[in-house]
Amino acid sequence: MNEILLSVLVFSPLIGILALCFISKNQEKAIKWAGILATVPALALSLFLYSYYLGGNNLSAFSEKVRWIQFGSIANADSKLFAVDYELALDGFALLMVLLTAVLSTLSAIASISIKKEWKGYFMLFLLLETGMLGVFMAQNMVLFFIFFEITLIPAFFLIGKWGYIEKEKAAFSFLIYNGFGSAVLLIVIMVLFARAGTSNIEALRYIINVGGVPLVSPITEGMKYGLLIALLIAFGVKLPIFPLHTWMLRVHVQAPPPIVMLHAGVLLKIGAFGLIRFGLGIFPEQFKDLSVIIAVLGVINLLYGAFLAFIQKEFKMVLAYSSISHMGIVLIGLGALNESGIQGAIFQVVSHGLIAALLFFLVGVIYERVQTTSLSNLGGLSKAMPLTSGFLLAGAMASLGLPGMSGFISEFMAFLGLFKTDPLLAGIGALGIIITAVYLLRAVMGITFGKQGVSVRTKAMRDLNSVEMVPVLVLLAFIVIIGIYPSILSNPLEDTIQLIMTGLGGQAG
Amino acid sequence: MMENAWIIPLFPLISFLLLLLLGKRLKESSAYIGIAFTLFSLLFSLLVLWERFTSPTYKIGTEWLKIGDLSITAGMEVNQLNALMLVIVSLVSFLVHMYSKGYMQGEERFSVFYAYLGLFTFAMLGLVLSPNLLQLYVFWELVGLGSFLLIGFYFYKEEAKQAAKKAFIMTRIGDVGLFIGMILLFWETGSFEYDAIFKAAAEGSISEGMITLTAIFIFIGAMGKSGQFPLHTWLPDAMEGPTPVSALIHAATMVAAGVYLVAAMFPLFSESSTALLIVAATGAFTAIFAASIGLVQTDIKRVLAYSTVSQLGYMMLALGTAGYVAGVFHLMTHAFFKALLFLAAGSVIHAVHTQNIEEMGGLWKKLKITGPLFLIGTLAISGVPLFSGFFSKDEILVSAWNHGNYILFFLALIAAFFTAFYMFRLFFLVFTGNQKKEAQNVHESPASMTIPMLILGFLAVVSGYVNTPWFGTFLGDWLTKGNHYLEHGHEDSPVWIMLAATLVSLAGITLAYMIYSKRSISRDWLGGEGSMMYNILYNKYYADEFYNLSIVRLTGIISVFFSYIDRFIVEGLVNGVTGTVQKLGKIGSRMQTGQVQQYGTIAFFGLAVLLIIFALTGGIFE
Repeated sequence: MNEILLSVLVFSPLIGILALCFISKNQEKAIKWAGILATVPALALSLFLYSYYLGGNNLSAFSEKVRWIQFGSIANADSKLFAVDYELALDGFALLMVLLTAVLSTLSAIASISIKKEWKGYFMLFLLLETGMLGVFMAQNMVLFFIFFEITLIPAFFLIGKWGYIEKEKAAFSFLIYNGFGSAVLLIVIMVLFARAGTSNIEALRYIINVGGVPLVSPITEGMKYGLLIALLIAFGVKLPIFPLHTWMLRVHVQAPPPIVMLHAGVLLKIGAFGLIRFGLGIFPEQFKDLSVIIAVLGVINLLYGAFLAFIQKEFKMVLAYSSISHMGIVLIGLGALNESGIQGAIFQVVSHGLIAALLFFLVGVIYERVQTTSLSNLGGLSKAMPLTSGFLLAGAMASLGLPGMSGFISEFMAFLGLFKTDPLLAGIGALGIIITAVYLLRAVMGITFGKQGVSVRTKAMRDLNSVEMVPVLVLLAFIVIIGIYPSILSNPLEDTIQLIMTGLGGQAG
Repeated sequence: MMENAWIIPLFPLISFLLLLLLGKRLKESSAYIGIAFTLFSLLFSLLVLWERFTSPTYKIGTEWLKIGDLSITAGMEVNQLNALMLVIVSLVSFLVHMYSKGYMQGEERFSVFYAYLGLFTFAMLGLVLSPNLLQLYVFWELVGLGSFLLIGFYFYKEEAKQAAKKAFIMTRIGDVGLFIGMILLFWETGSFEYDAIFKAAAEGSISEGMITLTAIFIFIGAMGKSGQFPLHTWLPDAMEGPTPVSALIHAATMVAAGVYLVAAMFPLFSESSTALLIVAATGAFTAIFAASIGLVQTDIKRVLAYSTVSQLGYMMLALGTAGYVAGVFHLMTHAFFKALLFLAAGSVIHAVHTQNIEEMGGLWKKLKITGPLFLIGTLAISGVPLFSGFFSKDEILVSAWNHGNYILFFLALIAAFFTAFYMFRLFFLVFTGNQKKEAQNVHESPASMTIPMLILGFLAVVSGYVNTPWFGTFLGDWLTKGNHYLEHGHEDSPVWIMLAATLVSLAGITLAYMIYSKRSISRDWLGGEGSMMYNILYNKYYADEFYNLSIVRLTGIISVFFSYIDRFIVEGLVNGVTGTVQKLGKIGSRMQTGQVQQYGTIAFFGLAVLLIIFALTGGIFE
């Protein structure tokens, strides 16, 4: 069982697709149940792995490796070269990402009960998307990573384009073009590495680039390493997104259906951060070190730029979209700090923002379903009609602006702690973002919940959260608070990963 | 008992959680849960204080978060200052819980109010038990949340919404200062623990410039919370919250957290004379600045709010002139008499349903309990001899004089005059003179409201006697005992300071009496309404207007500027790229003419170019 556990985990959602084939497309209830249930095995398995790992056991027992594709044979090269294996494995960081994906997938599937049409197609694509996301975090070589990465793009494209709001097609194309561009750049990097080193295994590449001494098919020069790292920065920068590559994700955040935005903001964007850490920092630590100031500066730009723009948006979804950009700045700030505190903060932010963004977008979906608008000028005084929704929205905003006791604070704190060590002045400028974040979030959330009742609120018959809708809200909030109070449940599994990264950086102490 | 002090903040937390879950069903009996749990906190706090009189400081800590080799701990510490604060906070909170039962009667969200009170009390008690800066910061933000929720309790009112937002944001500006200061200190000393920081500061392992810098950053945090100029404007607006909240949060406890922070970090501040001077100057300026605004306000709660700002300035002045004991002493007496004043004001508002003092009058006969209690509070804050405020204010003046900064001393003296004047203006306008027609059906408040006021009234009189030049400086001796970072606060003082303080306050009272009660001096003797000075004071020196025109406007301008970048440069660039691709595509498609000759020509030239490239580079097979 151990040898195929990870494969079962990755491909378990596909069983749901198979089951869906046998359900008639009009049986709404059955389809939704099947869709939700199909996400449960992955959730159960990842929870099992998490508790197994916390219990002090080693995850390498679950690693899988099967020879998959052999690319011809070049006369003077080793026969082991130019082969691609099917290999899955987990470390602490990947485990957390898998767990995040599994949790958000189940919750987002629950949120998908609000989907109004063509449920069958929706859930098939949804489950395919989940498989792609799970695979991305477990793939042990870049080719396999790329395949899973592409598997996420296609279902996401259709989910946005078909089930989104008014300008859904435009948003879907924008999504595809930018991400396609990012993928192309990523593919170039992978191919260059594969062609020159003869392998795409991440571990092997880490060794080849950093330690060297391995005969290569064709040399990788110092300059080329920088080029490859910058290419990775662009490829994953589109995904994260890094200013100025961000405009596509605004459209997606506004136009995609809320459950998909939960996954998009919660997991898909985080693939950008994951890639930067795993490949950028993992394979090219020396070069990353040289670029770290630029990355920190980009982080501060993201943070402030997103925050200022979120301040003047008239549409709540746009506020949250810019807020995502701003919060991804924290990830870059942590990575740019390049010490234990900063990197740990960056990874915390990846997880924490995933949970918080999912919570906020879920509530956006709830509100939109009731009042058919998220325009700030039409909303207001929601607390009266929907006290629970308003209360949770405020809680989500507090988490997002980094209130201590919630996960956002821990990540923000560690990222800034890291940057204050390496570059106090830049960190001081970035700290202004903490104020502006409070300003724009309170403006938006209080505009919706406090004050006089807005036009749309007054004219609609409102009902508060029902018991099904309470599930995602309470689960997400529980995670956010638990991480905020007891951060060790995240930092303990991360210890090995961060140790490895620090070793790559030459043991530069925190 | 001291080793179990951690349980004290947990009581109100349980109350908060219980009320969140069950509040809807319990309705107004929620009050009993809140009152019971804060009573537990109060009893435990008293036990801890009692034990702390005889035992040494107790401290525990455990690892909370590991970052590589760094270990960040959480724990608690019971020293003199903390033990004293525990009692002040839990006592005032308990009394306010009790008072609110009557005051908030009939409120639809009664249980929510008590839940929020519990949350706030939890955070405030947690704050004073913290043994390190990070933990303090955590609770520091949580008390801010409690304050925010309670200011915005009447969420449907636009003013309450704006006030809550303003309070959160203005204090957050200060919080970022604290955040930066705390992190800088961490990298200097490798720890957030107070002890480690003080040790490093005393040993000189932190450079002098760094001590000053971090102390100033931490003081910015204290300024935000304690409403010191220029971050003071949120505190008067916070009066939009229910009056019991104003008494608890915006008078007695949370706003004093800034003073507490400076007091707790005093060993760091005392290493830098520059930092101390900044604290003292800010405090003195705020004291007189806010007092002058208080002279002309017409809303009973706003007058009290400005007096709070002014008194907090006094405490800062004390700390800044190295008067550690004086600052903490005034913090304590102020907590009692200001909570009393607010609760009495609430009782007045409860009776007459207005906050405008011009619409009140002649209430002395109607409110037989509230009236005398309000008078006690007014006498205490004005520094009339034998009341608590007299002793603590005297300590501050002595501290300022002994420190040798005479300008600050005289500022404080003038502020004392202002205080006596505007407080008695308030008293005479509300309680003497003719009854206005709004005040016909006036009744004294129920016992649940008057009993807490009676207790506070008692404390407002006697709490001064724990530290007097006549009977002994028990508080000062105890606070500084065994703490080698602190010198003994009380120094022998010239007797004339006490006389001067008394004279100044009596002068203020007399002037107020002449104008507002006896009316032998016209109210307009100094220009009156409509004069420039009046307008400036009435509009609070136009601080809000100034912020709106400068910082708020600037934020808007930057945002709009960024949005143009987003729309035109970023999007423009993208559109440019797609446009170019399209054009290239068009050129390509134009070549598809179907003429074989043209294809041949292009193929030929292509081949030629490739050959030239190969010839120049040597081809792929190097």
